[in-house]
Order: sequence, then structure tokens, then C-alpha cells
Amino acid sequence: MLLHGRLSELCIFLQAMFVFACCFSDIESGPIATSGSVQPNGDRFKLEGRAIVPGVKTQDWISSARVTVEGEEYIGFMRTDGSFVVNDVPSGSYVVEVISPGYKFEAVRVDITSKGKMRARLVNFIKTSEVIRQPYPLQLRSSGPHTYFMKRETWGWTDFLMNPMVLMMVLPLLIIVLLPKVVNTNDPEMRKEMEQSMNMLNPNPELPDVSEFMTKLFSGSKSSSNKAVGGSKASGRPAVKRR
Amino acid sequence: MAKLTSLFVILLSFFCISEAVFEDQVGKFDWRQQYVGKTLFAHFESNTQSSKKMFVATDKNIFASFNSRTGDLLWRHVDKTGPEGSIDILLLHGQDALMVVGDGRLLRSWDTNIGGLNWEAVLDTGSFQAACFVAIQDTVKLVAVLKKAAISLHYLSNGHQKWVENLPDSDAVQYQAVYSGGEEEVYVLGVVPNSHLTIIAYSLEDGEIIKQRSVEASWLSSIESSCVVVGQGVLMCVDPATLALYTLPIQAEETPEFSQILLQSLDLEVFPGFQPVLVSSQPHPARSPLSEFFLQLGPDHHVLLQLNADGYTIAPLRDFQPAFLVSFATTGKKTVAAVMTPKNETVSCPLGGVSPCSGWCLALWCVVSPCGVSPCGVSPPQLYVHAFLKKDDSVGYRVLVQTQDHALTFIQQPGRVVWTREEALADVVTMEMVDLPLTGTQAELEGEFGKKADGLFPMVLKRLSSQVTLLQAWLAHLWKLFYEARKPRSQVKNEVTIETLSRDEFNLQKMMVMVTASGKLFGIDSKSGSILWKHYLENVQPNAAFKLIVQRTTAHFPHPPQCTLLIKDKDTGLATLHVFNPIFGRKSHIALPALPRPILQSLLLPVIDQDYAKVLLLVDDQYKVTAFPSTKNVLQQLQEMASSIFFYLIRSDQGNLSGFRLRKDLSTERIWEVVLPTEVQKIVAVKGKRPNEHVHSQGRVMGDRSVLYKYLNPNLLAVVTESTDTHPERAFVGVFLVDGVTGRIIHEAVQRKARGPVHFVHSENWVVYEYWNTKSRRNEFSVLELFEGTELYNSTVFSSLDRPHLPQVLQQTYIFPSPITTMEATLTEKGITSRHLLVGLPSGAILSLPKMFLDPRRPEVVTEHSREENLIPYAPEMPIRTEWFINYNQTVARVKGIYTAPSGLESTCLVVAYGLDIYQTRVYPSKQFDVLKDDYDYVLISSVLFALFFATMISKRLAQVKLLNRAWR
Repeated sequence: MLLHGRLSELCIFLQAMFVFACCFSDIESGPIATSGSVQPNGDRFKLEGRAIVPGVKTQDWISSARVTVEGEEYIGFMRTDGSFVVNDVPSGSYVVEVISPGYKFEAVRVDITSKGKMRARLVNFIKTSEVIRQPYPLQLRSSGPHTYFMKRETWGWTDFLMNPMVLMMVLPLLIIVLLPKVVNTNDPEMRKEMEQSMNMLNPNPELPDVSEFMTKLFSGSKSSSNKAVGGSKASGRPAVKRR
Repeated sequence: MAKLTSLFVILLSFFCISEAVFEDQVGKFDWRQQYVGKTLFAHFESNTQSSKKMFVATDKNIFASFNSRTGDLLWRHVDKTGPEGSIDILLLHGQDALMVVGDGRLLRSWDTNIGGLNWEAVLDTGSFQAACFVAIQDTVKLVAVLKKAAISLHYLSNGHQKWVENLPDSDAVQYQAVYSGGEEEVYVLGVVPNSHLTIIAYSLEDGEIIKQRSVEASWLSSIESSCVVVGQGVLMCVDPATLALYTLPIQAEETPEFSQILLQSLDLEVFPGFQPVLVSSQPHPARSPLSEFFLQLGPDHHVLLQLNADGYTIAPLRDFQPAFLVSFATTGKKTVAAVMTPKNETVSCPLGGVSPCSGWCLALWCVVSPCGVSPCGVSPPQLYVHAFLKKDDSVGYRVLVQTQDHALTFIQQPGRVVWTREEALADVVTMEMVDLPLTGTQAELEGEFGKKADGLFPMVLKRLSSQVTLLQAWLAHLWKLFYEARKPRSQVKNEVTIETLSRDEFNLQKMMVMVTASGKLFGIDSKSGSILWKHYLENVQPNAAFKLIVQRTTAHFPHPPQCTLLIKDKDTGLATLHVFNPIFGRKSHIALPALPRPILQSLLLPVIDQDYAKVLLLVDDQYKVTAFPSTKNVLQQLQEMASSIFFYLIRSDQGNLSGFRLRKDLSTERIWEVVLPTEVQKIVAVKGKRPNEHVHSQGRVMGDRSVLYKYLNPNLLAVVTESTDTHPERAFVGVFLVDGVTGRIIHEAVQRKARGPVHFVHSENWVVYEYWNTKSRRNEFSVLELFEGTELYNSTVFSSLDRPHLPQVLQQTYIFPSPITTMEATLTEKGITSRHLLVGLPSGAILSLPKMFLDPRRPEVVTEHSREENLIPYAPEMPIRTEWFINYNQTVARVKGIYTAPSGLESTCLVVAYGLDIYQTRVYPSKQFDVLKDDYDYVLISSVLFALFFATMISKRLAQVKLLNRAWR
């Protein structure tokens, strides 16, 4: 343990000695120029689509939503009717996503050929060449609000009662309470039978019963302790006298 | 089948392990502040007193709407960064806001009511010059956009182009202004610098050139900076050379040249060396502009002038000095001119001086500057006035002032500040979290333990007295609680001020020191997010680089904590130091070292001087070292330790990585050099490990009970390179692990068919990096983990100089289904808690990804051992679950950095994400194992306890009765 502590201490010491400061050396991990720089006369196309959140008015969600193409490479905004256009997109293959903090949308991959032909398909990052066609212009339907929160484990009576431990305790209790009422104990034959079964359950009659032992201990402790105190007093006095 | 079920079980267990936010915790430990940046254009909604909305377009390419009563954001649209998303102009007409974006790339129309887009039109190529509304028969129906070589007209209703015309002779003539006064024509004004002015009138109907003429103007170089249109279409220009005003009616063909009015003849004098500026106003696009206009003659001198009806003569109306800013605003038929004067200056500023009314009235109001001249010293560069008609038909106004330190202030009529937004925080460059100081009593208690024992009896007395003071404090706290409980909730306000700041029980509340690109420093309380202090550094260049260093923490009472900000000019490389107290923001008066040479590197040593301040070493371009503070004590310590102080330098332009050692005389010696040829690859980033990071366990216990020891080299550097060839087939990303002391390359990983941007985290014995796979067009995460093996070479001390064996390196790669913007790892006090990666996504979410998912030992085939080690079976795709978003729907736009800091609780890590917004929260990577959770059910536990207690009492009584009965039997 000591060794351990010292080791880590030394490590820290050395680490501190050699200070890592990634500061004013000429490294700047700033924005890196995207490969698709602005071509003055290059072919640029527009991506069209419409997003729908079922049961929600468009004005309630469009002000916080936007359309991103391949991260933030191209950005489009939602029109007041829920449709969108992303202008100035060169040919290529892009993941188009409607981003809204409130509602969930599936991402779609859109391929644009150099002639401007469009194709939309499901995003599959593992089998990238797999094509499952989607409608174009894009029709994006929200699958509901995002689930950001975990449910708290709430405490209810039913949870408590349905707990297996509780069930295991409650059922024997019921049996103990109810059985004597069902079975007539005044019947001498019955009593005999029960005694027999009890004897069978308790193989060693010599062993003291735990409950009895406990009751004895608690009820008898007061008096015995009192006695003990008295005894000590009694024995203490003669000792004083003797001196 | 068995495999599947085991997978399911394991996944389920992880589902339980990974944390999430509970709905009732919203806003309990976290807060978000949204910013927009420096305002370029601002407009107010229709001119009634009850209108609340205002619209701004900013230099961060953001179009946003505020509630003008509170300054809260109503909605915000974040466009692309850089010139492609830059906003050239913002015009407002009724409900529609018109915007030209990306140097004339797009024309957008927004519905300002709901914050949605009406339409977006692509404009022809060519750089943007000017735009204005065009009215046909008193209704605004069109917008004219002037580009370098063309003019186009678009319908306001749907964005369709009415017509587009090429401008004649656009190579020679610089077309700079477009004017429409409600007639059937639209005028384009162009200039051939120092030669002549060209005026072209286009027909609104079909874009035909109606007339075209050129006027001799050898003094004119730019229309934009020196000309405005006033009155009935009269072009008014000012020439600083001849000190004269020139007027020219635009429509009238009979006047062939400018008429000159010398400023002297108006008794006006220009401040020496000042370029005079004209300010005019066109209240409605269907009407001609006002004939009144302002002429700025000096930095604080404005004159209100009026063009007489004849169009040639000018009458001065009023002189304003001192006056910083002037602006016009119109409501109904009344126009207000606002003049901003410094505080406590008596200016003849009669309210409501009205000019002869001829349909338009001119009323003058003076705005008192929110800060006087000298104390804030910040000259406000922009003024926006919101004028509105009150119920009694008089004009009221509110004023929005944008100051140089990027603060946006909204002022009510009597000069009362309604709200202030610190928009400098939209561009945080770097930050640190500093512990709050202890209160006086706390410090006293702490002091008791530090001192040497002075006898048993005094110690006992001291102990008792401190207990009494604690009791007193507790009673006072109880009394306060009781007192406040009686008050209505609205009155109870926990105002945080600098005076009441003190450390809490678990050190969860800290001071966030934020450095912004504008050179303004902020101290923010991490619990509430309120700004406790701000300090504006005025002489900071806009392209400066900053580094914030905590030299002395709050732990050394009575020495105040000390932060040092290193500001380096990127062009010259010269650096300056700003030393301040991070709790109060005050500048410390410490003798600063002279730094005459450019600084290459700075390093903070663990060496402390007699005042407990850590020593900062600055290396200049001649490899000379300057120490700060540089007292005798420090220099002596440095001499003793010089042989064990190493540092590294990177020159990415030369692909050069070199290591140095300090000599006793504070000169340096190069000991190693690694060259990565710049023709093939360039160094993108270098990261070491965080100095305040602790690693708790030295190894990992494997399934067969053996231990795999981690390779914990504190001197390890992760160097990331990118290929210069960007072709998707040949591009690659390289990761080099270099020992910073010896220069030994420990490991080298090359990812083919990959390109940046690379984001990476280097911590403990692992490096996680993310790149773009050009072949499969997806983002991938790769993890490198270094292990020493099953035996440690030297378990007592780690030395870079004595490590003969290279570590074993394990690597695994995963698909990540989203691009990322930044990445950081959680950090806790002792490093016992498991680590999570905090990943900023472009959607603004911050994902808390357990490091367990990025473990190169994840097996493809599940075995008994791997199950025992709790390894998740390998799956190629990394999951993104919205439950792992630590900021739920409080998205942080354009996350630029994530700062993590340990708290006093081992389970808790403080997180600040900054970008356009600032978001602060706490994360518990292994759940809260060291404190009771906030949903701990005290009621249930206490009720069960009480129930048991009573049950024992009752059963005891029953047992006694039973015993008695039995005895009687």
C-alpha cells in the first residue's frame, strides 16, 4: 500500500515536472477548410423535402428546428409550412437530418449525381452500399418527442406487496393465522395428530425454543440485573469494612 | 441463443449503469445561457408601445428575436459559420424580415411572428453591394438587390425574380448604392474613383434603362462612405479634403454637376484628421428621405442640418457636442432623432424641438449614455432607436446600444437600463474553474489543524471554542431558514454577491473564469450562472491567442488566489501578461517581467515561491527562459531542479517536434527532434495529459485473476497528423505517441482513407480519436490503450529515461453515427469513478458516452473470462441514446469546448460546455455512490422505523399479557 502511494506520488511529481502546455506553439486545431470549397460556376443543386410532426402545429416547433446536411456542412431552415430546401449543394452523397430539440426524426442519405439526379435511401453505416429507397422529395415524419429522461423508481404499495420477499413472509403468516380456525383444535384426535407432526418437525425436544429463550431473556433481564446490582453493593460494603 | 441472451443481459446491465437525467432534476444543478454575438443589424417590431419583439442579425451569422422587455431570446436561427453564412443586410417590413446571406448568395425572407422561413431564393453569383425595398404606388412589393455587376428585383411575397439586368461597364464602374423614392424607377449609383459618378435609372416594369448619365466628381472615391440621399432625391456627399458638402439631384437631368457648399460657410469645423460622416433616414420606402440629416464632424461632435426646399442650400438646425452617436427612428408620421451624450454633461438638449411640420415631424431626444465617458471608456459603436407612439400621441423611445466590449444594453426613456446582455460570452476562448475561498470561520477552523501543537490545554480550549463558533453559525443558519420560511416565496431571493461567496460543503460551487475573444474577462458563479465580475482588456488585438493559468489556488489563505492570462498577438508573437484575482476580478499589482521577444511556449512548474505561487516559465524565440515570478528563491529552486525540467516545441509549418532541457543558467539545450515531412503530412494537434488527473488503479484485473498493468507515462504526447493529399483514396490520419522527455516514438497508428477534422482525448493510458472515413463516408471512433503487460518494469517510480520495454498497444475502432464537434473526458478528484467521454454533437446535444464502450478488449466472442471482466461484446456501431444527453433539450449551439473539473465529491464531475451558449451541469459517471441521492425517501425510511418501533412496543406488551395469563392458569 505504501509502495503504491509512493509510486503514484512520484508519478505525479514527474508528471508535474514535465509540464505539458499545448499553448502557443503554432498548432491551432481550428476549422479545417472543407474540400468542397465554393466553385464559382460549379453545379450546385437544391435538396427538397418536408418534415411533419403529427399532432403538433408547425409554428410550435419550426423556430427551433433546422436541417443539417453532413454535420453542419450545409444548413437549411424550415419554412412556415414544414417544408425545407437546402440550396447550393454540390453532387455527392450526404446524410440529411432534421434536428429539433423537441422531436425525433430519422436521418436519410441522399445521393446526388453529377447531373443532378436525386435518390434518397435509408442510412446504413455498416453496409454503406445497401439501398433501401425512400421517397424524394424527402418526406420526414417525426416518431415523437425525444426521451431524454429516465423514469424515477417510485415507491408504491403494490410494488411493496408484490415483492417476492414480502410474499414469502405474508403467506406463512396467513397460514398460521387461518389454519387453526379452519381446523377444529378441540377435536382430541386432531390434537394428537398435530402434536405428532410437531414432534416430527422438532427432532430434538431437548433443544430450547428460540422464542421462549428470547422472551425469558427480555422479561427476566430486569430483575436479574437488579439483583446483580444489589449483590455487588452487598459485596462491596464488607470490602470497605474490611479495610 | 445463449449468446444472444447473455448479450441482452449485459446490455441491460449497462443500461442500468449509464446515468441519465431525471425529469424532476431539470434546472436543479444545471443552467444554460444563450447568446447571439455582436449585433450588426437590429430592428424593432411595429411601432406601438406594447410591441415587445426586436430582431438582430449578428457577426456570428445568427438571426434572432428578443423580447425587448426582458432581453430573453424568443427564437434564434444559427447558420453556417464563416463567410458562407454571413449576413450582409437585414431589412424589416411589417411581418417580414429580409436577409441577404453569404455575400449575395441567398435571399431569405422570414416570418418574424413564428420564426419560420417564408422563402429562400438563390441569387446570381457576384459580391453583394446594397439592397433596398422598392414600392409601387405606396405599397412595398419588391426588393432590389445590387450586386457588383447586376441588379435584380424580387417579389416580397414569394421571392420570385421579377427581372435581372447586367450593369453596363461594371469592370470600370463600382456600383455601390441603390435608391428608390417611390417613383416608377430605381436608381443605381456607381463611381469610378476620383473620376466621375454614374447614375442609371431602371424601369421597375421590365428593367429597361430609362436614363443613364455620368457626372464629373474627381474628389469622390466611395459612395458608401461619404454619400447619402436626403430630401427629394438629392445626393449629399462630404469631401474631407476640400471640407465641403456636394449636392446633386438624382432625378433631375438638367443639372450636369455637383453644387458645392463649403463647411466654412456654415460655420462648421471638422476635427483635424477626422473623416466626416453623414447620417440620413428614409422612413418609408415609398417616400423620399427626410431633408434633415446629421453630419459628424469629430469623434464627439454632431450637427443636425436641413436641406432647404430648393435643394441647394443648407440650414444648420442644432449643434451637439459632446455627442457620441446619433440615430433616426420613425413611428407613424413622426421621426425621432436620438443623440447619445455622456453622463453628467450638461448639453442643451430640449425635449421635443420640432421642426416645421410638412407631413413629417422631427423631434429631438437626448439619450444619456449608460456609462460616462471616462469610467467605462468604451465608445459605443452602434445605436438603434425604437420609437413608438404613446397613447396620447406623443413619441416615446427605447434605445438599444451596442458597445465595443460586445455588451448590448437596452435603455428606457428616462435613461434607465432595462437589461444588458453580455454578448462577448458568445465567443469564449478558454476558461478555468477556481475554488471559492473559505469564509472567515471556516478558515479559522482549518488553521487549527495546520499549526504546530502548543500544549494540550490550549488545544482543547481552541477545539471547544471552534465548536462553539460552529454551533453559533448553525443556529444562525437555522434562524435564517425559519425567518425566510415565513416570507412569501417570491420575496426570498438568494442573491449571490462576491461578498457572500464561500465554498460549500462538497466544493460543488466554483468560480468560472471565462476569457472571451473580445478580450473581456468574466467571473461567473457556477451554481447560478450569474456574472459576478467582468473586466474588459481594452488593448487586446482581435486575433490574439489566450492562455489562462491558475498560479495560486484559494488554498493558501491569507494569500489571495492568482490567475495569469497570457495574451499573445498572433502576428508578431509578442505576449503580455495580465495578472488578476479570479474571485474578485481585480488586477493584481505585481511586477511583470519584460517580454521583448516573441513567446513560443509557456509552462507551469510545480515549483512554488515563498508566496505559494506556482512558477510560470516563458520560452522566447531564442530559447531563453523567463520565469514569473522571478524572485531569488525561485531562481535558486530552478537551478537545483534544472536538470529534470524538460519541455517540447512544435512547429507545424516545418513539421518539427523538438524537446529541450533546461540548463542551470536558464538557457536551454535541444535534446531530441522528430521531423514529420510537411510534404506528406501536417501536424494538426498535440495533446499531453492533464496535470491534475489522477489514476487510481495501476492495472486491470483480468478474468483469470492476473493483472494487466497500465502504461502510465506522464510524459506521453499524442500527436495527430493529417495528410496533405486530400484525395479520398490517398488521404490518411496519423496518430503518434511520443515520449516528451526522450523523443522516443512509443507507437504509431495510421488510419488510411481517412481525413479530419480529428477530435481526440488523451488520458490515463488511452487515446480516443475520431475521424471521417472517406471510403465508407462515416465517422469512426478509434481507441488506443497502452499496457505494460502482466508485470511492471519498475513499480516504484516512472522514468522516461529508464523504460526498455515498449508497451503493448491494443486498438479497436467503432462506427459513430453522427459527426462530432468536440470531445472531452470526465475528471474526478481521485480517479476512482469510471470515466465517461463527453461528446459535443452538431445538434447541440452533449453525449455522455461510457468509456466502457470504447475498450479495445471488447471481445468478438463472449467467453467466461470476458463475462467476468464485464466486457461488452464487440459491436461495430456505437449507440447514441437520447437518455445519455446530459443537457436534455437545452442544446448548446456550436459547442466549441467542454471543460471538466473535479468537485469535492469523488462521484461528481463539473461540466461546462461553451460555444455560442454556455451550459453548466454535474455528471455522475458511476452514479452518486458517496452521497444520498436527491430522491432519497426520508419519509418512507422514517415511517418504517417508527412503525417497527411501535410494533415492538405493542408486541412486548402483548407478550407480557400473555405471560401473565399463562401464569394465572
